Amino acid sequence: MFVLTGYEYLLVFLLLCGSVPILALGIAYFLRPKREGASRRTTYESGMEPIGGAWIQFNIRYYMFALVFVIFDVETVFLYPWAVAFSQLGILAFIEALIFIAILVVGLVYAWRKGALEWS
Amino acid sequence: MTLAEGVQLVLFGLLAALVIGTALGVVLLSNIVYSAFLLGGVFLSISGLYVLLNAGFVAAAQILIYVGAVNVLILFGIMLVNKSQPFTPVRRGWIRLIATGGVCLGLFALLSTMILGTSWQLSTETPVGDGATVLIGMHFFSDFLLPFELASVLLLMALVGAIILARREFVPDEPPTDAISDALKLPERPRELVPAGREGSESPE
Repeated sequence: MFVLTGYEYLLVFLLLCGSVPILALGIAYFLRPKREGASRRTTYESGMEPIGGAWIQFNIRYYMFALVFVIFDVETVFLYPWAVAFSQLGILAFIEALIFIAILVVGLVYAWRKGALEWS
Repeated sequence: MTLAEGVQLVLFGLLAALVIGTALGVVLLSNIVYSAFLLGGVFLSISGLYVLLNAGFVAAAQILIYVGAVNVLILFGIMLVNKSQPFTPVRRGWIRLIATGGVCLGLFALLSTMILGTSWQLSTETPVGDGATVLIGMHFFSDFLLPFELASVLLLMALVGAIILARREFVPDEPPTDAISDALKLPERPRELVPAGREGSESPE
């Protein structure tokens, strides 16, 4: 018992999204002049001069953003069935979801007050 | 074999090849960043397998949790510790290889016997298919309401705990002075811990 109904759009999206980098790189491959040179290796022709390598150690404080992001990513998983079944659920479910979000907003406020969202 | 079954078979073969290929790349590539991105490929392919099994919600959760969160955390971990320093070859590396191979083979044998020994009882009820997500949502707000709200509290606890741990407010007074090699240390710029409540008053930078 298997019918992939409703996934035609996904297939179209996959084909479109997959063809964008292939087309961009492929057309560029045919159009660009094939000359080697020192300036060809730079990032942009008219951008900033890159300093140092890309393999640097990042500051540990950026991990905080990742941690906060993961929590709210998991929250999204819980809210996804609510969003799908929204029309079948009543106003009570809306209030319950608001309570769910409010509890997590407490965490967001805590992270904010603790300076976990400070960029510098 | 109808057309749908053929499509399913071809898709399954493609996805299985993708899973195995990317998983091999994760293990075999020496560049750890490539391994991390290929791990995302493994997770994406597995979510495709879930779609083939008509488990749309599990597929969405797989993409959200594993690709969106777990893989991002792994990449962040690599970014924060990786300085791409040259690795010295381990002495007697073959012992490690044999031990790893033995453990992996044992795990594979155990899982194979479990899979072959289990009688896979298929439910006789009609599968809900794409309506599963709606059904899960209905259950969340009727008979599973308390676990649903408790999950929010659990996430809040995880968030607060992660912030407290990551800010290192409870560091020991004297730093451990035993010989940890420099490669294992996680150097961090010293910074002032601002207590909550006087945030934004001033920030000496």
